[in-house]
Amino acid sequence: MDVFMHAIAFVLQWQNLAALAGGTVVGIIIGVLPGLGPSAGMALTIPLVMSWHPATALIFMGALYKCSNYGGSLTAILVNTPGDASNAATVLDGYPMCEKGRGGVALGISATSALVGGTVGMICLILAAPFLADFALEFGPAEYFLTAILALSLIAAVVQGATIKGLMAAGLGLLLSTVGFDVIAGHLRYTFDWAPLEDGIPLIQALVGLFAVTQALVLAESASSISRLAKLSGSFWEGVRDYFRHPLIVLRSAVIGLFVGVLPAVGQSSAGLLAWADAKRVSKRPETFGHGAPEGVLASETATNACMPGDLVCTIALGVPGSVGAAVFLGVMIIFGIAPGPLVFVDKADVIYSLFVALTLTSFLVFIIGMTVASRLAVVTLLPNNVIVPLILVVSLLGSFAIRNEMADVIISLAFGALGYIMLKGGFTPIPLLLGLVLGEMVETNYHRALLVSGGSYSIFYSSVICKVLIVLTVLSLIGPYLGPFWKTMTQGEK
Amino acid sequence: MKEKFKSTEVWFKIALLFVFGGFYLLAMPFPEDSKQFPQLLAAISLALTVIALGMDFLRAQVAVGEIGGVDDTELMVLDAATRRARRKRFYQSWAILLVSTGAGILGGFLLSTVFLFVGFGLAFGRRENVAKNLIVAAGMTVVVYVVFGRIMAVPLLDGVLW
Repeated sequence: MDVFMHAIAFVLQWQNLAALAGGTVVGIIIGVLPGLGPSAGMALTIPLVMSWHPATALIFMGALYKCSNYGGSLTAILVNTPGDASNAATVLDGYPMCEKGRGGVALGISATSALVGGTVGMICLILAAPFLADFALEFGPAEYFLTAILALSLIAAVVQGATIKGLMAAGLGLLLSTVGFDVIAGHLRYTFDWAPLEDGIPLIQALVGLFAVTQALVLAESASSISRLAKLSGSFWEGVRDYFRHPLIVLRSAVIGLFVGVLPAVGQSSAGLLAWADAKRVSKRPETFGHGAPEGVLASETATNACMPGDLVCTIALGVPGSVGAAVFLGVMIIFGIAPGPLVFVDKADVIYSLFVALTLTSFLVFIIGMTVASRLAVVTLLPNNVIVPLILVVSLLGSFAIRNEMADVIISLAFGALGYIMLKGGFTPIPLLLGLVLGEMVETNYHRALLVSGGSYSIFYSSVICKVLIVLTVLSLIGPYLGPFWKTMTQGEK
Repeated sequence: MKEKFKSTEVWFKIALLFVFGGFYLLAMPFPEDSKQFPQLLAAISLALTVIALGMDFLRAQVAVGEIGGVDDTELMVLDAATRRARRKRFYQSWAILLVSTGAGILGGFLLSTVFLFVGFGLAFGRRENVAKNLIVAAGMTVVVYVVFGRIMAVPLLDGVLW
């Protein structure tokens, strides 16, 4: 309880409130810009917050991550373009509502979803934290090693039917993390006598390259840029009232969101679509879904907002990110010296609880912004790509440069940008690579520590119950994507 | 067979073969504790790459799926015309990026900023908006200089030339 009270006092300091407000506004703007998601947004702003207190920086990043989803719902409703994949389900009913002159109502529902879904999710996260802290005491180096392997195998399977490619990308990330001074023997590895690599591949520069530069290149190659803003009409408050007329759908969607969030590597887009389908299934007027049903917007937005806190549970407690944004957030945590794992609730309780309190406050801030200026923020979608692309590149590369004032860092970011782009073109996602890079040191250190503890015996990796569970989950995560089609073929064969 | 060598995916996997092989071989002179982990990883990754490539060549059709953005996890297939148009814009983007980085190395990051805004404005902006794009470029450069150069004291004009 003491930690919690300290966290509240900490968040209420002016600089943390400013970080919270800044992260919220930047998050909404990032979300509004189609093509830019939370991961690119966080990658862009890491250099900006590098000199901040870790808790303040995490508050900013957490708010940005959480609010980009709300920003994406604005464009889904007003422009018929989801700002992010997580808003895909919102488009189905949000834009038709706007076309029918009920855009204000849809925005009211969306803002209330951010408030209710986000708050419910955060309360569940805060309640779950003490249990995770108790669980921490059971973890040794072998368990940490296997948890990281589980995280990598789960993320490797994130692209349907491309698990091997995901594992290859994870392997590349882990190998790149071995560049520089070896933490065990103090030996220099793979530096080719180039000084900027002696401390290893700089994580910030790599992250900026993989996400911000790559996404800028993707935006640059797509010709479409200028969007068309729909005329806004309908009352915002009517949307708020509409929202509370469907308590059952709210509850079901929040539970779906939380559940999907806790599942590693599933993500917010699935939560929104699942909740939308569920609301349609239980609705008395399912034929209205897809034609401007307020319940459709309500369900998808409540689920995606409740999903993010669930997503954070796995990311913070186990180092297993539930989505792309969470993987980047994990990278941000490592950059600020907050190693993920169950022990984080004991060792860095002040930082983690401050983040939770701040994220709860963010839900209210989003609602206030939604009531006042949110619809006006959608005008940034009118910016053409020839302004947005160089802006992203200048801000991201300048961020890389400003950390050590070296052009070598810009070159590293560009190299990772090129790598990320080629990976996308080859059907590889850069997320496992990032995760390998982020978790590499933790994996190697715990691998050596576990062998040291066991006197060189590999039996330590399967001796405890937790290890066995982790191994089973890892195997399941790897063969799981192939089991579905296999089962289908078998059953079809029988028929 | 020829078709398969046109795929970015296949070429990327072949490149990965060399990268993983390189990681394994370069680790040989390292002390035992230093080389154990990277060599184990490189060997596993190498085996996975060989399997993936083998599957590609055994398959009847060429894999042409790509991922639309860093936040996406779905494979999508674009038609040949769209791919060609995008490739052209991609080459233009890289040309601008390389020129601006070179300018940055020579004259400081502020020059990179100018080249990026002017380059993208001229290459991707509409012809009738050239003047507007140049004004935006000048305005953004001034904002970057004031915010980063003056307020945050980032040495934006430190280059090889001066």
